[in-house]
Amino acid sequence: MSYTSYFYLLFFLGALVILYYLMPLKRRWLVLLGGSYFFYWLASGKLIVFLLITTVSVYLGALAMEREQKAFDSVRKSLEKEERKARKAAMMRRKRHIVLAMVLINVGLLAFLKYYHFFSANVNALGNSLNLGIQLPALKLVMPLGISFYTLSAVGYVIDVYRGQTAADHHFGRLALFLSLFTNITEGPISRYGQLAGQAFEGHRADYRQFTFGAQLILWGLFQKMVLADRAALLVSTVFGSPSDYSGGVVILAMLVYTLQIYADFAGCMDIVRGSGALFGIEITRNFHQPFFSRSIGEFWRRWHMTLGAWFKDYIFYPVTLSKTNMKLGRWAKKHLSPHLGQVMPTAFALFFVWLANGIWHGAAWKYVAYGMYYYVLTLFGLLFKPMIFLFYKKTGIQKDSRPWQFFLILRTFILVNIGMLLFRADSLPVFAGMFVSMFRKTTGHWLELGMDVHDLAVLAAGALLMLVVGILREEGICIRERIASLPIIWRWMIYAGAFCAIVLLGAYGSGYGVVDPLYANF
Amino acid sequence: MNELLSILNKVKPGIDYVNEKHLVSDELIDSLDVMTIVTEICDEFDVEILPTDVVPENFESVEAMQKLIMRLQED
Repeated sequence: MSYTSYFYLLFFLGALVILYYLMPLKRRWLVLLGGSYFFYWLASGKLIVFLLITTVSVYLGALAMEREQKAFDSVRKSLEKEERKARKAAMMRRKRHIVLAMVLINVGLLAFLKYYHFFSANVNALGNSLNLGIQLPALKLVMPLGISFYTLSAVGYVIDVYRGQTAADHHFGRLALFLSLFTNITEGPISRYGQLAGQAFEGHRADYRQFTFGAQLILWGLFQKMVLADRAALLVSTVFGSPSDYSGGVVILAMLVYTLQIYADFAGCMDIVRGSGALFGIEITRNFHQPFFSRSIGEFWRRWHMTLGAWFKDYIFYPVTLSKTNMKLGRWAKKHLSPHLGQVMPTAFALFFVWLANGIWHGAAWKYVAYGMYYYVLTLFGLLFKPMIFLFYKKTGIQKDSRPWQFFLILRTFILVNIGMLLFRADSLPVFAGMFVSMFRKTTGHWLELGMDVHDLAVLAAGALLMLVVGILREEGICIRERIASLPIIWRWMIYAGAFCAIVLLGAYGSGYGVVDPLYANF
Repeated sequence: MNELLSILNKVKPGIDYVNEKHLVSDELIDSLDVMTIVTEICDEFDVEILPTDVVPENFESVEAMQKLIMRLQED
């Protein structure tokens, strides 16, 4: 069920809101849990069993870790120092085994369903070329909806329990709701237990202000998705569908429009789900923070798909950087290479795994590995050349905070991100290479023969401009929803009606437009 | 204190570490800088920093970092 469908907006969401507020306060979570499982079952049918396996496994795993911790805590004070140390080490070892088993079960399921085809195709190709006689069978595998999102939330939960940052949840319903909440299950955001579980479980009273804020966010999300992203899809699929027919300015235009499409699509869906959450008094974590105002690649990834970046930081980057082997590597580099390399080597080593994971999380193909490595190399440059960059500022006297320089940094990041988007959207690595090179050739193809007419292009340009204005206002710290809320009622409702009409009249649906599934729903 | 300041100036020069009290929240240092600082602290002060210690509060100022080091040395 798409978040932009009539069924979701009018029937599912409408019915759930009515049922939620009719239910006694303490039982309202049952409506959300029932609704979320119904939503999932409609989209995935019997594949719901995978969601249940994950939920039951992490529920039991967390409780087992808690039992180990409690058994140790109950005797801790009565033990001598040496005995206490030994018992603690043994308890931590047992907890580590449990958390490892949980990670293996859940990441293993995800890896098998998502990467088996990719893995077997590569192994078979290698086996054939080397005449090894290896042939892995082809399996008919179907990916459950949102498995890449709820698996990360589930793994994050058990690791938090292992680290003692979160207590194990004894209430199976609360944990099941946290992992299945319909707002998050299709495209994220990847929620943390501490941020979502409690507030989703707790009953909320109807609040007019929250309700209108939620409705505004849904409208804005629908505008981005239906008016901009789905319209941009026309041009993008034309050019990327037969890339060899185009070159020069047309390829550059397609790359820019694809960046707009993926942003409006993903951020639009996030606004719809955040708005949906607000109707129930639930604050869904933000996933975007005006990413195209970033001055560096690092900053871009702190503003784009924020919950994914934060997950990789907490559960891959920190533990790998702080691992004993990695620390030894740093010491070795400091002693045998240079103090600067000794300083950056542990971080650079950990970042490799972060970007590799980021790449393959997006899909099972070599181009996604290359996508991750593209950002790894860019980040590595920043790290390795930090002393030179510092010297550059010192010698040239350039004011880092001056407006022209900030604008240059934003533009540079925007260009680098767009190249990454081209790699992300191209069908394969050779296609990407061909398109990249063709950007510097003479233009072939006409901008009015790319699947969009003048009207479509004008709507797209006006919509992109509106997104830019909204972004600038947000960057300036202006809360547009607060401003709208403070307007006289007549103006307020005129804005709502205008937004609604814009979506109905300008939305890219019906004859001449294809149905565009949310781009991030397939991950 | 001096040892810590020398690490910080090596990792990211050009910041007034003595007076700055919001190094992380004011985005003067990012997570990559924090991790480089962490590995240097582990080396210089012979302490073990866990992922759970890597929270913004522990790296907002020199004093906060010093407090963290002292706690870890006592553990």
